[in-house]
Amino acid sequence: MRTKVKTAAPASPEARFMRVLQALEQELLDASDEEIIAAATDLGMNPQMKGSALFAGLKYPARLQLSDFFELGMAARLEAEQTSIVVPDRSTPKLTK
Amino acid sequence: MRQIQPLVDTKVLRPAESALALQLVTEMELLRLKAIARLHARGLPPDVGWDDLLQEALTRVLVGSRLQPEGVPTVVFLAGIIRSLRSEHWRRAASRSSQTLRIDQANETAPHEVELRDPAPTPERSLSARQELAEIRKLFALDIVALQIIAGLADDLSPEQIRSAHGISRTDYDSARKRMRRTLLREGLTCERK
Repeated sequence: MRTKVKTAAPASPEARFMRVLQALEQELLDASDEEIIAAATDLGMNPQMKGSALFAGLKYPARLQLSDFFELGMAARLEAEQTSIVVPDRSTPKLTK
Repeated sequence: MRQIQPLVDTKVLRPAESALALQLVTEMELLRLKAIARLHARGLPPDVGWDDLLQEALTRVLVGSRLQPEGVPTVVFLAGIIRSLRSEHWRRAASRSSQTLRIDQANETAPHEVELRDPAPTPERSLSARQELAEIRKLFALDIVALQIIAGLADDLSPEQIRSAHGISRTDYDSARKRMRRTLLREGLTCERK
């Protein structure tokens, strides 16, 4: 009599994708610093360089904003200085009759 | 009248900068995490970027909403948070769509019967997973051994099973993994969006 072989139901595309993602994540976790530097060099970037594009999205925004080209902060600062908050001085009590 | 001077320093530290300053991670670890976040951002809705995943994971550790268990390296812990954030995004997106459907139906029944369940893979999600897996395969298009490894991983095979199924020697397998890491890092460290 032939032995019946149980075949598992085919995994969903989502499950297959997740397995690959997790395995590749592990590969990246296992990558050495030297491998990271080598990959960065392939891309023409140097992690040791100050302001390296490698850190875009980490130390500074990944997406360039208007403020990266224009000093928008200056206008905001000037406006803030003009409208600085005024708080009534409560150090001298008000005399009431 | 007393005047409070406005705050001149408008610089706000990003979570990654804070993590570096607090020596939670090194710059190299941050780059490794960038590559991992870019990997996990694949297939997510376009409004969620890899930097959102990574900065959010760092924020959760910095504010203490996720506590690092003893003995777990920080990078591994952060990678785990990135993975769960990815699932969270999918769950939220799916429950939003299923909730809308149920509310429409709930007009005839009691409003408290709105059902919130953990979503099963939708056709849209399955299609997206297929496309993303194809994109990953494209990264290794010229590397036959790497493609065999990817196929084996998708089928949940162990390294030994993959090797014996395709007759790959241990040395060839390890070399392919090394090439895969290099490709993944190149893809993960690029400045391109997603």
